[in-house]
Amino acid sequence: MRATLAIPALWFLSAFIMFGSSGLRAHAEDMKLEVQLIWGTNDDQSPDKNHQPVDPDIKKRLKELPLKWSNYFLVNRKRFDVPPLATKREPLSEKCAIEVKNLGNDSIEVTQFGKGQQVWKGTQALPKGKFLFLGGNAPNATSWLVILKRIE
Amino acid sequence: MMDQDAQLKIQAYLDGELPEAEAQEIDRWLAEDEGAAALLSELRNTRKALAGHDQPLQLPETREFFWSKIEREILRQESPQTAPQIVPWWIAWRRLLMPVGGTVALVLAALIAGGLLGGSSRPAMETAAADTGALTYRDDDGGNTLVWLSYPAENEFAESQPASTLQ
Repeated sequence: MRATLAIPALWFLSAFIMFGSSGLRAHAEDMKLEVQLIWGTNDDQSPDKNHQPVDPDIKKRLKELPLKWSNYFLVNRKRFDVPPLATKREPLSEKCAIEVKNLGNDSIEVTQFGKGQQVWKGTQALPKGKFLFLGGNAPNATSWLVILKRIE
Repeated sequence: MMDQDAQLKIQAYLDGELPEAEAQEIDRWLAEDEGAAALLSELRNTRKALAGHDQPLQLPETREFFWSKIEREILRQESPQTAPQIVPWWIAWRRLLMPVGGTVALVLAALIAGGLLGGSSRPAMETAAADTGALTYRDDDGGNTLVWLSYPAENEFAESQPASTLQ
C-alpha cells in the first residue's frame, strides 16, 4: 500500500521538478532580441540612400503576410538583451520607440511609442525564432513596420 | 465383545460384498462363534424388516457421473493451495500508469489552459485610446504575428496623408 502511494507521489514530484526547473531556467536567462524598423513601399528604391533592402528571411516572411507592398527597406536595426522581469526601451527613430518587458516563460510585454506616446501595448509569447510584426499605414501609400525577433 | 471391524465384516458378508475366500473364512467363523452367528441373524432380520419400506433413491444423473463429481471435489480439496498469481511487471505498472498518466494529463491541461506553462500564444493587447482599430493576423505555422495599427505614422518617410494599404 505504501509503495502504491509512493510511486504516484514520485511521478508528481518529477513532474513538478521538471516544470519548475524549466520555469526557473526561463527566468534565469536573458532574452536576446532584434528589432528592425522597416518601411514598406511599392517604389523600387528608397529616397533615403541609407535604407537597405531587408534580409531575405524577413522579405519572405513579409510576403507571407497579408500586406501588399512590393518592397521593404531597413531603416534601423538593433539588438538588445532583456534580463528576466526587466524592461528595455529602444528608440528606433526620432519618433518611434519600442519597449520590451521580459515576462519569463518566453513571453514579452511590448509597448509601441509614437512621438513619445504609447500607441499600443500587448503581451505576446515569443519563443526563439518567432516574429512579432507591428505596423501601420504611412503617407503616400507606404507603411511602417517594427519587427521584433527572438534570437535566443 | 466383537470389534467394529468384525461387525462390518459380517455386514459385508451378508451383503455379498466379500471375495470368495474371505466369505468362506467368515462361514467358518460363524459356525464356531455364536455371537457372530447371532449378529448375522439379527442383521438379516433387520434387512428383511426394512426391505419393504426402503424407498429406492433415484439419482438425477448416472452413478458414474455422481461419483466422479465427488471424486473431483475430494481431489480439489486435497490439492495444495495454488500460489498467488504473479502479476507481470508491465501489467502492474500499467495499473499505476493509467490513473497517474490521466492525472498528469489533467494537470498539464490545466496548466496550459491557465497559461502557466510556456505562456499563452495568443497576445493580450491593450491599444491606446487613440488607436481603436488594431487588427491582428496570426500565422502559427510560420511563427509570425502581425498587429496592424491605425496609428497614422506622420512622417518618417513621406509627407502626405496615409491611405488604406492593407490587402
